[in-house]
Amino acid sequence: MENASIIQFVNVTKTFADDTIVLDNVSFEIERGKFYTLLGPSGCGKTTILRLIAGFIEPTSGEVYFDGKKINHLPANKRQVNTVFQDYALFPHLNVFENVAFGLRIKREKKSVIEAKVKEALSFVNLSGYENREISEMSGGQRQRVAIARAIVNEPKVILLDEPLSALDLKLRTQMQYELRELQRRLGITFIFVTHDQEEALAMSDEIFVINKGKIQQSGTPIDIYDEPINRFVADFIGESNIVKGKMIEDYLVEFAGKRFTCVDGGITPNEPVEIVIRPEDLEITKKGAGKLEVTVHSKLFRGVHYEMTCRDVEGNDWLVHTTRKVDVGDMIGLDFEPEAIHVMRFDESEEDFDRRMEQYTEEEANG
Amino acid sequence: MDNKFLRNLYMVPYAVWIIVFVIAPILLVLYYSFLDIHGNFSLVNYERFFTSVYLKLTLSSFWYAFLITLISLLVAYPTAYLLTKTKHKHLWLLLIIVPSWINLLLKAYAFIGIFGAYGAANNFLEFIGIGSRQLLFTDFSFVFVAVYIFIPFMILPIFNALNSLNPTLIDAANDLGASRWTTFSKVIFPLTLNGVKTGCQVVFIPALSLFMLTRLIAGNRVITLGTAIEQHFLVTQDWGMGSTIAVFLILIMFLIIRLTGFRKRGA
Repeated sequence: MENASIIQFVNVTKTFADDTIVLDNVSFEIERGKFYTLLGPSGCGKTTILRLIAGFIEPTSGEVYFDGKKINHLPANKRQVNTVFQDYALFPHLNVFENVAFGLRIKREKKSVIEAKVKEALSFVNLSGYENREISEMSGGQRQRVAIARAIVNEPKVILLDEPLSALDLKLRTQMQYELRELQRRLGITFIFVTHDQEEALAMSDEIFVINKGKIQQSGTPIDIYDEPINRFVADFIGESNIVKGKMIEDYLVEFAGKRFTCVDGGITPNEPVEIVIRPEDLEITKKGAGKLEVTVHSKLFRGVHYEMTCRDVEGNDWLVHTTRKVDVGDMIGLDFEPEAIHVMRFDESEEDFDRRMEQYTEEEANG
Repeated sequence: MDNKFLRNLYMVPYAVWIIVFVIAPILLVLYYSFLDIHGNFSLVNYERFFTSVYLKLTLSSFWYAFLITLISLLVAYPTAYLLTKTKHKHLWLLLIIVPSWINLLLKAYAFIGIFGAYGAANNFLEFIGIGSRQLLFTDFSFVFVAVYIFIPFMILPIFNALNSLNPTLIDAANDLGASRWTTFSKVIFPLTLNGVKTGCQVVFIPALSLFMLTRLIAGNRVITLGTAIEQHFLVTQDWGMGSTIAVFLILIMFLIIRLTGFRKRGA
């Protein structure tokens, strides 16, 4: 029986020569056949994780396992992993065919095998017929595909993608997001995708690791992370959010903006100070007096699909609202929202504590 | 209108330079090559060039230039490679370049001192027990000094090529399973080939016409095309034959530039 997990990081720390800590005691597990995204701002350590898996660098402490074997010191050329680089790193002196065939030639595959595999890989990325083109003759999007073909042709167990879409224009990027996701499903191999673009991460991934300052802040499915951000950083980084200070009165009752509201969170000490997240799209505009909050419209921005408004309540909290309704700046309006829209975050809660609490009170809910 | 006039005006110094110092001398050399020793117009010099004496001379010139280029390359490539890996690479590069600023003649005289009968090299050979021997006025010392003089010119273009190589390409080769040697032979070397070609050009062509070292270091035991030209102009006063050899030297240079000319690819 094959183990479900293919890559494991156990307490991995990476410091650079000048003692800056890039990864701080990171542990996680990557399962076979899924699409993972490492998401975080630049310099957060996500590319370092990728380079550790690829074997370009070695961890300062901790262990990296691949397929159950420790690979801390295994050189990159001996790993069953292939990388799609941010700048593609295609060999400029070789044509498309030879770029894709590079790995196969090193393995000394038969000529007929190489030809068949390269052809198949190129058709996988819709580049059939481009075999004899020079790299300099290819557009950015085409180079991207060559880079992907060059990785998949070796049939690795894991493909690492280091911000591969960041150099493409918006339209091409969206198209490539679909194609990459589709490709991963067809190939059934593990993809680990690094990006700082949260929309990209939400759209493509089975699992997202949100990383900041060398630590994994939260991991989970896109929906989990969007709906239940663990802390202010995650809430802020993923999607747009209104974050206000509040106080947990008791289970399922929270106080913020000077009022008490029913919510669906529990397992928090009574009267503990907390932070409240409400997504802008969960706020509904009502007539003055009909909503749960009274606010004044401060500014309005036309975003195409919706208006983005900033409103301020009597307590001085700012509320970002997405709406298609037409409201004027200066209007007094009401904001309405469901109890499910309120998400309560504790200060400095670790992912383990968060998960434990979630399990606990959802169980209580089920029993009671 | 005005712009065009100005642009042409800027061209004047360059054009004058090219005409006076490049085109005119070449034409003059070409003209002299058709004059025999008595100043009569003839093709006798060209006939003489294809006799065994001059063909041998050409061949030996090529042989020494080839040796000098090859040894320079073998020393320069690893040196340039190591330089790109050092922390203060541009400082190290400068240290290697600095000797090339010193006058060639001075360096040649310095080597006479080092390789002389009682020089440092022989003292060292004594010391390690091999015993002193004739170093100066040998093929060895000629090639050694020539390599020493040309090495900075070989290192510079190779260093530049290596330095501008995208380091991710090396990661990529590694990632695709290439060992260090394969990465070098399949990625690094092909991508720095232009630097190697440039280096070979700037060493091989001047090495063909080296003449001062042949006398000072090789004691006229090595005669190159350059030496032959010098001898004809200054000693035998046969300007016609000297010019003919020069014409062939120029032709050979163009041929070499053509042959090592590189196609632009990637970049």
